[in-house]
Amino acid sequence: MKFLMLILKNLRRNWVRSMLTSAGVMVLVFVITLIWSILGFLDMATSEKSANFKGIVTEKWSIPSQLPFSYASTLENGAARVESDVKPMDSMTWQFFIGSVDKTNIGFSTFIFAFCMEPKKLLTMMDELDSLQPGPRAELDVAIKAMEQNRQGIIVGQKRLAAIEKKVGDRIKVFGINYRDLELECEIVGTFPPGRYDNNTCINRDYLNASLDAYKASKGKPHPLAEKTLNLVWVKVPTKDTFTKMSGQIDNSPMFSAPPVKIETASSGVSNFLAAYKDLLWILRVLLAPAIIITLTVVISNAISISVRERRKEMAVLKVIGFQPNQIIFLVLGEAILLGVISGAISSIGTYFLVNRVIGGIPFPIAFFSSFPVLDGALWWGAAIGFITAFAGSILPALSTRKIKVVDVFSKVA
Amino acid sequence: MTEKPIVRVSHVSRYFKRGAERVNVLNDLDLNVPEGQFLALMGPSGSGKTTLLNLIAGLDTPSEGEIWVGDRCVSTMNESQLARWRNEHVGFVFQFYHLLPVLSAFENVELPLLLLPLNAKKRREQVKTALDLVGLNDRNSHLPSQLSGGQQQRVGIARAIVTDPTLIVADEPTGDLDAKSAHEILDLLGTLQRSLNKTILMVTHDMRAARRADRIQHLDKGRLVDQPDEALYEAS
Repeated sequence: MKFLMLILKNLRRNWVRSMLTSAGVMVLVFVITLIWSILGFLDMATSEKSANFKGIVTEKWSIPSQLPFSYASTLENGAARVESDVKPMDSMTWQFFIGSVDKTNIGFSTFIFAFCMEPKKLLTMMDELDSLQPGPRAELDVAIKAMEQNRQGIIVGQKRLAAIEKKVGDRIKVFGINYRDLELECEIVGTFPPGRYDNNTCINRDYLNASLDAYKASKGKPHPLAEKTLNLVWVKVPTKDTFTKMSGQIDNSPMFSAPPVKIETASSGVSNFLAAYKDLLWILRVLLAPAIIITLTVVISNAISISVRERRKEMAVLKVIGFQPNQIIFLVLGEAILLGVISGAISSIGTYFLVNRVIGGIPFPIAFFSSFPVLDGALWWGAAIGFITAFAGSILPALSTRKIKVVDVFSKVA
Repeated sequence: MTEKPIVRVSHVSRYFKRGAERVNVLNDLDLNVPEGQFLALMGPSGSGKTTLLNLIAGLDTPSEGEIWVGDRCVSTMNESQLARWRNEHVGFVFQFYHLLPVLSAFENVELPLLLLPLNAKKRREQVKTALDLVGLNDRNSHLPSQLSGGQQQRVGIARAIVTDPTLIVADEPTGDLDAKSAHEILDLLGTLQRSLNKTILMVTHDMRAARRADRIQHLDKGRLVDQPDEALYEAS
C-alpha cells in the first residue's frame, strides 16, 4: 500500500501517454471481448448437454433439408411404433419462410426470415424463450395466444420490426422469396423479448400450410415446394440413451425412405450448420484474437519501455536511498498492471452493459443467430487480459532496471 | 565533536578494467573521519573523489582494502545489504537535487521512510521535523517544479536527514545554485552538523564551499595529498 501512492503518481507523470495507452488497451479489450463472446456463445451452442437433449431431424443426404410435411406427425412422436418405443418429451417443426414486405424492393429494410411453427412451442422448445423471466414470458404468452386465435398473427423481433418500420397491430403482406408466388397476409400481434430473436419472425405453421392449399386451389396445381415444406423437426429427450434409442427408431422406420432422414443432437446439427463458417471462425479464434493480445502486449511494452528509459536517473536515486532492485521492478510492473487491469476492466465491463443493455447484442448474423450477447465472463475477462498483457509487456522493461547503476546519480565531473 | 572515527578507509584501491588495460582510480588510500566532522573532499577532475564518496556511501565496493562506517564493514556487504544499510545510515545530497518530479516536497522527503517499518503517523512526524529543520514546512505540498533551486536542495537535504542517518554525503551540493542559495545551503549543512552532530562528507570544486568544512582533504591521481597542485585546479 505504501508504494501504491508512488505507482499512481508515476502514472500521472505523463498523463497523455497514460491515457493513450489506456485507450489502446480499452479498444483492444473491447474487440477481444466481442470476439470471445461470439466464439464462446457458439462453443456453448455446439457443446453437448448432459440432460434434456435436443435432437434435429433433417433430410439425410440433402442441404437444405426439405421434407414433406407428412413426416411431421410421425417425427414429432420420435417415430415410435410400439409401446416400448421411446417418445420425445416435447417437439416442434420448423418451416422456413423467407420473404419481403415489398415485392419490388427486396433488401435489409424489407426482408423477413420466419420460422413457421406451432406458436405454443415457442415457450417450451425455443432456446432462451424457454427460460424467460416471468414478465417477458407473460408478454410473449399474450402474443402466442393471439397467434393461436388468429392464425395470420405473427410475432416479429424488435429490430426487424424497426427495420420494416412497422409496429404491433399493423397488418403486412409478405411476398415469398423461397415460396415464389405465395403471399401471406399477416397481422403483427407481438414481439420477441430483446436478444437472440431480434431479427426473426414466427408465423403459425397452420397459416403457411393453409396458404399452400389455397395456392393449389387457385392455380389448379400444387406449389412447387408443396412436398418440401418441412425443414427441421426438433425433439427433446431426457437422456443420451433415450436419444440413441430414438435415433434407432427413426433410422429403422419404413416411413422415411423417400427422402430418408437423419437425427443428430442439436449441438451436432449447429456444428454442421456452422461448418460453412469454419474459416471465418478459425480466423477469429486462431489469428485475430492472439494477434490482438500480442498487439496489446506490444503497446504496453512500448509505453513502459519509454517510461523506464526516461526515468533511469530517478530509479538510480531510488536505489541510492535504499530501494532494493526487486522493489523497483515491483513499482514498474505495478504501474503497467494497474493501468492494464483498470483499463481492461472498464472496457470489458462497459462493453458488457453497452452491448447487452443498450444495443441488445452483437449484431453478427451467422447460422441461426442474428446477434450475440456479451457473455458474463466478460466481467472479469478485461481485468485478466489487462493483467496478463501488462505483465508480459512490462516484465522486460522492469527487469532492465536491474542494470541501472547507482553510481550514475553522482555528477561525472567530480 | 569527538575524535572517534566513524569512517575508516583502510588501504583502499579501486581500479576498473578497460579492455586489457587497468585504470587505477584510487591507490592504497587511507582515511579516517571522526564522528561529527564536516569533511570536504577536493581535487581535480578524475582525481577519484567521487569514487571515494561512492565507496564510503556503499554505492560501490573497493577492489582492495576495507571501509568501515561505525561498526559495519561496508566493503564486504552484498547489494541487498548495502541498499538496506544506505537507507538506514546514509543521507544523500545531490548536485542536481534528484527529487522525483511527480511527488510533493513532503512525499519526496517521505520516500526513504517508506522502506522502514514505520506507520503513517510516525512517518508524518519525521517528515515534518525534517522539513522544519530546513525551514520548508510551508512548502510541503509543492511539487519540485514549483520550488526554486535553493528550496529544492533544502528538500533534498530534508530527504537526506529524515531517517536520522549516521553519515551525510553531499556531491557538489552547491554546484547548481547561485551564490546566495549556495551560501544558505552551506549554512544549513553547518547547522545540521553542529546541532545534530552529523558527520558530513562533501565533494566540491568550490574552495569557498570547502572552507565551510572542519577539514579539507585533497585528492590527486587517486591519493590523498597534503598540498594541492593549484595548476590542476585551474585546469579543471
